[in-house]
Amino acid sequence: MTSSPSRRTVLGAALGVASAAALAGCSGGRPADGRTAVRFLGPETPETFRAVIRGFERANPGIRIDYTPVPPDQLGDVLQLRLSAKDSAIDVYAVDQPRVPALTARGFLTDLNRIADRTKAAVTPEQYAVSSWDGTLRSLPIWTSTQYLFYNADLLAKAGVALPDAAPADRWSWERTRAAGRRAMDRAGADYALLLEQTDLYYGLQPLIESLHGGSGITGKDMLTPAVTTQGWIDALDWYRTLFADGSSPRGIPSYQLSSLFTSGRVPFFVGGPWNLGAFAGLKDFTWGTAPQPKFAHGRAVTPTDSWSWGVNPYAEHPEAGLRFMEYAALTTEGSLSTVEASPLIPSNRKAFDRYAADLADKATKSTAGVATIMRYELAHTAVSRPRSIGYTQFETVMGSAFSDIRNGSAVEPRLAKASGELVRTWERLR
Amino acid sequence: MTTSPPRTPPRPARRRASQGRTALYFLAPALLALVVLRLLPAAMALVSSARHHSLVDGTTTFVGLGNYTDLLSDSQFWQSVRVTLLFSLVINPLQVLIALGLAVLLGRRFAGVRFWRSLVFAPIAVPPAVSAVIWGILYRPEGPLNAILGALGIPPQPFLTSSEQALFALIVLMSWVGVGYWMMFLIAGLQDIPQECYDAAAVDGASAWQRFFHVTLPLLRRPLAFVLVADTVANFLVFAPVQLLTRGGPDGSTNLMMYDVFRRAYSVGDINFAQAEVVVLVAITLAVVVVQFRMMQGKGEE
Amino acid sequence: MKTTNAPVPSTPRRLSALRHMPLVTAVVMGVLFALPLLWVLAGSLRPGDKVLAGLDRVSWHSLIPTDATLHNYVTLFRGDFGRAVLNSIGVAVATVLLGLVLSAMAAFALSVFRFRGRGLVFAVILLSFMIPFDAIAIPLSDIFRDWGLQNTYAGLILPGIGNGLAIFLLRQFFLAIPRELVEAARMDGLSWWGVFTKIYVPLSRPALIGAGLTLFTFQWQSYMWPLLVGTEPDKQLGPIALGTLQGQMVVDYGQVFAAAVVLTVIPLLVLLRLQRYFTQSIAGSGLK
Repeated sequence: MTSSPSRRTVLGAALGVASAAALAGCSGGRPADGRTAVRFLGPETPETFRAVIRGFERANPGIRIDYTPVPPDQLGDVLQLRLSAKDSAIDVYAVDQPRVPALTARGFLTDLNRIADRTKAAVTPEQYAVSSWDGTLRSLPIWTSTQYLFYNADLLAKAGVALPDAAPADRWSWERTRAAGRRAMDRAGADYALLLEQTDLYYGLQPLIESLHGGSGITGKDMLTPAVTTQGWIDALDWYRTLFADGSSPRGIPSYQLSSLFTSGRVPFFVGGPWNLGAFAGLKDFTWGTAPQPKFAHGRAVTPTDSWSWGVNPYAEHPEAGLRFMEYAALTTEGSLSTVEASPLIPSNRKAFDRYAADLADKATKSTAGVATIMRYELAHTAVSRPRSIGYTQFETVMGSAFSDIRNGSAVEPRLAKASGELVRTWERLR
Repeated sequence: MTTSPPRTPPRPARRRASQGRTALYFLAPALLALVVLRLLPAAMALVSSARHHSLVDGTTTFVGLGNYTDLLSDSQFWQSVRVTLLFSLVINPLQVLIALGLAVLLGRRFAGVRFWRSLVFAPIAVPPAVSAVIWGILYRPEGPLNAILGALGIPPQPFLTSSEQALFALIVLMSWVGVGYWMMFLIAGLQDIPQECYDAAAVDGASAWQRFFHVTLPLLRRPLAFVLVADTVANFLVFAPVQLLTRGGPDGSTNLMMYDVFRRAYSVGDINFAQAEVVVLVAITLAVVVVQFRMMQGKGEE
Repeated sequence: MKTTNAPVPSTPRRLSALRHMPLVTAVVMGVLFALPLLWVLAGSLRPGDKVLAGLDRVSWHSLIPTDATLHNYVTLFRGDFGRAVLNSIGVAVATVLLGLVLSAMAAFALSVFRFRGRGLVFAVILLSFMIPFDAIAIPLSDIFRDWGLQNTYAGLILPGIGNGLAIFLLRQFFLAIPRELVEAARMDGLSWWGVFTKIYVPLSRPALIGAGLTLFTFQWQSYMWPLLVGTEPDKQLGPIALGTLQGQMVVDYGQVFAAAVVLTVIPLLVLLRLQRYFTQSIAGSGLK
């Protein structure tokens, strides 16, 4: 055989490749320290959960929590694919609350009804409701949320504008806020009038639409019928479109970069979530304050709410240990408070909520004087959850593109009609 | 390692068969990897494109070409086909020409050339999430690029916020990322051109342009063919900048097919439908590449 | 290259001006391409909340931070980022080594041997890189899960080694190696493996670097795949670690930019070193 040496060497190389791969595969085991390792997936940085994990592990020496952060934009996709493959390497995962129905329908959330009573007793009724679907508890609520109107007092004073009041009864209108912002542009050299942190996101736009009685956008017996062309939708989005068209708000800046415009002192108003309280605390260059989120002059007061729950994967390797961890974080006051140590979101646990609110009031500075009152008021009276539908994910995606096009100047009515058609087609394909 | 026995030249008839066997040994590892890691999952995707999964009752059914007929009647799909073809028509010649120009420039020897090459190559190493942040800020309507244009007396441009300009803004971004990368392959090709060819041309009194067209280009045809085909394929499959900066908008003007696939598969969660679109995308890519090969064959390429 | 220098000049003055043209143009191009990166570097040296403020207005301050601090890098490496970068390097190196062996062997077979089905094999290779990896990642991750490759380095490395593009590239360059050279070596009794390792590989260093680059960038930028095969925190890769820095609510751009600088500089240093092999190869060997 003329080619025998080369054959041997080639085969050797191929074998080498194969064995290298196999060796690499062998190194994939978990370190055996005798503890049960609960694998937990979420969208936050590891620092966020360090406190709650430390607290839980101290109370449960036999269990270890391995937290894997997933980039927030990919969490939904990753969960969807790994859970549908019956991946057992996820025990507990963070659930965006409006997705509880869809995840339940796909069989991705373990039935938690056996701890329903204890959960009902521990968390707020609204948070219990959004963590359940079809009368079954499917996840444990960890956080809820609301929005505030942050303002730059120095810019407003320079423009000769009265500061917004922190009392919910004296809530400003969107019209007034925008006009005051324009004044700050004209007289105090502000770059823009008003920033909406949740630009193009349904979470931030739903309150505008529902303030004008436009409805959530989804109707029908099975909540798979679009209703996004009502007068309320059109009027709210006309206002939204104008905000960007006349330069009151910047067109080309993605939502998560907007807060830097506010902190650099170039914009008088910023509507954003509670996490900004922590980020703004260190602001030294100007005086800022907090007020309730505006409503439309002829509309009702509506604020966004809800945040994250945690659920157990039905195919989890360690569902019991995982559930123990979730109970610690959601149902005990101590555990719940430790989840908000590094991330100033609002705990869903009632007792933890009271302590959190009292703490906010105690530590309030001039800038955050009304925050505790506003938060309590909004969550009790004005908060509206996102629609509960198994088609919410698709709804959010389709409407996100429509909002973004409208922000860039598309005419409102035809664009909403197009989105409505797209929703009909997309949802039809879900059946 | 190579202890080959002395041998007489094999007879032609046997030679081909024996060469075939030797070729197989050399090919086997790579073919195995390609079949298992690319073709097998691709076949699974093809099968899955003929299925439909219901989220309401959780059942999966065989629908044959149903997903394809749905796709062909979807106006958004056709728009993304148009956008993709326009995009390819502009970006491929642009990138190949710039890469060629840069390769000729930076293929020479002068002080610090390795350093300058590396700078031009650098953008490919930047994580897409960060290049999206940089260009997102550059392209802000009130941002630095418009400030520079303003200094040159040009009115401000809307860039990514306009359906007329967004695609071209993305083309500039992607070319910033890509041309340095393609340039490296062409520089590698330039190194393989024998000195004697240039010497002979110089003796004939050829000008720099003549040498470029009659010596450099013909001898660079194989690396160029690689860059043209690989760049074309890469540009059919790119979607990260779209996902990070425009999400297909404004008004679908940047809805490249691969982004459309990604959106359907991941954001909307309609995997079967997305796989059908992938099959169409691969078919279009294949058709374009076959045309490119034909054209190159016409010019003497194997 | 020596002879591609400036054309024969008509006057001595033009000579000196033109002699420096390539250098001047190269500097201009290099700076133009690097400018956005200098921005990132400057941003990474600023306190987190000042990064964007420094970026969105053009001034010298956006490129040269007056309040430079290494704070972002310190914080970054105090977390898990260092390990993620090491993982990325390990995965990329293993991929490049394995991938180069596989690809070069296949390219050698395709360019040297004449055998039945060669066209078919070449078509399979072309097809394999036209299939978008992000689309087949979904079924491929199912296969890997069945094979127990979840949470393993093998699971991260393997998809990178089957790279049709690298094979195609090497084949294009191998075709340029003169056949007479092979015939002569075979006459001297060199085995095919000898022809491959002693002639083709040494003569194709620029092309091998190019193919290595292709294999490298595939892994260095891989993002969706590591998420799909599910990697535990200790096997996290650089780009994912960077992705998770952009938290749900507040993004610390100081750290994001610092991470980007680290992830960009590593391949650049490697490339800078490797370029000394970018010398004339076949021509330099004195063959025609």
